[in-house]
Amino acid sequence: MARARVFVGLKETLGRLARSGPIPVFAVTAADAINAVRDLGLRREVEIVATPRHASVLLVAGRFGEGPIAGLSQIHDQLPLPRLTVRWNGEVLAEIPQARLVAGDVVELVDRLLALDAEILAGALASESPLLPDVDAVEWRGVGPYGHGGSGMTGGTPFGRPLADRAPDRDGLELDQLPVSVGPWVGALPAGLELHVKLQGDLIQGVEVGPKVAVMAPVDAFVRALDVPTPVKLLEVERARHHLRWLADVLVVHGLSALGLWALRLAHDLSPSDRSEVERLLSAVRKSGVIKLVVGRIRGGVVSPGVVGTGPIGRAAGSGDDARLDDQSYQELQFQPVIGETGDTAARWNQRMAEVVQSLDLAARAEERTAFGSGCVEGPRGLIVSKQPPASASLLEVLPTLLTGLEWGDAVSVVWSLDLDAFATSVVLLPSGTET
Amino acid sequence: MAALGSALAVFLATVLAVGAAKWAGDVLNPVTLTIPERVPFAGGIPPDYHAWNRFHIRWYTMALLFLAFDMEMVFMYPWAVVFIREGLVSLVEMMMFILILLVGIVYTWRERGFSWA
Repeated sequence: MARARVFVGLKETLGRLARSGPIPVFAVTAADAINAVRDLGLRREVEIVATPRHASVLLVAGRFGEGPIAGLSQIHDQLPLPRLTVRWNGEVLAEIPQARLVAGDVVELVDRLLALDAEILAGALASESPLLPDVDAVEWRGVGPYGHGGSGMTGGTPFGRPLADRAPDRDGLELDQLPVSVGPWVGALPAGLELHVKLQGDLIQGVEVGPKVAVMAPVDAFVRALDVPTPVKLLEVERARHHLRWLADVLVVHGLSALGLWALRLAHDLSPSDRSEVERLLSAVRKSGVIKLVVGRIRGGVVSPGVVGTGPIGRAAGSGDDARLDDQSYQELQFQPVIGETGDTAARWNQRMAEVVQSLDLAARAEERTAFGSGCVEGPRGLIVSKQPPASASLLEVLPTLLTGLEWGDAVSVVWSLDLDAFATSVVLLPSGTET
Repeated sequence: MAALGSALAVFLATVLAVGAAKWAGDVLNPVTLTIPERVPFAGGIPPDYHAWNRFHIRWYTMALLFLAFDMEMVFMYPWAVVFIREGLVSLVEMMMFILILLVGIVYTWRERGFSWA
């Protein structure tokens, strides 16, 4: 009896300690919820973690297309017990019907998460059961006395898995080439991007882009501007916000989390008057040495204007294409695009950082001017034309060429520098119901 | 004898501590991992291949440089004795020797011998 009381007391103490920290959340995010999940990461009550093994809550956010979400059941079962799933601003999940539905903004989600976390830690709420059977698709047990090995000198198929293939390395030696699948929900890559890479050591010898995750396309200010003339001030602040959020992501991926958090906070409440604060951030990024010493040393990853001639990627490679040049409001503001030269990874960083400042400057001078509204818009990733895939969509096709031959770390840098939209988006539905 | 007693005490304390930690672990977390929980996480797709693979480590240049500086350090022990007797002349001679080795480092650096790929 006394022993049972000790355990109950111990469990209560551990539960209290667990409640005192932020709730670790692993997010599986559709395109329309990426920014909301970034904002969620700014809340002190929540910590967005990199793997489901560190999470208590699986958050499935945003509107996905029809069919199962790739990898979701596997991720669900990798959360340690007690686990729970929250479906935020989306339909009921076919894979996890017991997921708690939450509709609303970040504040409402955090309130609900806190309540659910308290319940599950107190034992008032049962942990979710595994979705997948506790059997291995391939028998891991080999023929050896300890379950190891198979046939052949190196064991053939140790623990049931085939060994890496063989392929010549750059010196002509026949060495192992390990096929590895990464994504679509791994922090090292943008959400939704699935890569099948062949690695020799950490050198990439082959890349295939996996199937795209189907999502509903987000409707942002740039999509609305396809049909309706939109204030230049709004568009340029949104453009700067997009680039700052991209900067936050790449800084975190490169290990500069504090600078990333600074960028994300700035993006959250951005206005044209924040220009000096933004310049301080960009100066700190340059002083950190990440562009010169890390990104600038990558050999490869160069995108020529012939591949993508539009958007920051095209401009970083020397292309002067920019739909804003054809718009009267921007002409009145004497807009001239920032144009880079080399088209490499560092050039893309510098390009977006320069465009953040330029956009805030345009927004400050725009007054009541409006722009676009006639079926094409210069978006933050490049040209958007009604009823056509965005020009930046072609980047996924050139990804194998860009990444083959790079070390894995450099390849991750190159992928993030491209600001990829890896999802397969269905038709864009405007609030009025008009299809674009 | 006293040393043997101390060693035995340390051994017994270690056995007890390990046993207590295991018991506490089993009591506090009696859950065993399921097969899906044990699969390495790479974004949601289970791996098809075993991670055991052999690759070229490319440490040749770094290993050669290590050897050069290793031998230099061996050389510096007798030099320290000579330095007390000969003074500045031996210091200058050693500096020349180290400078020649440094040229090797600069050359390797220029040839990107330190980078993996």
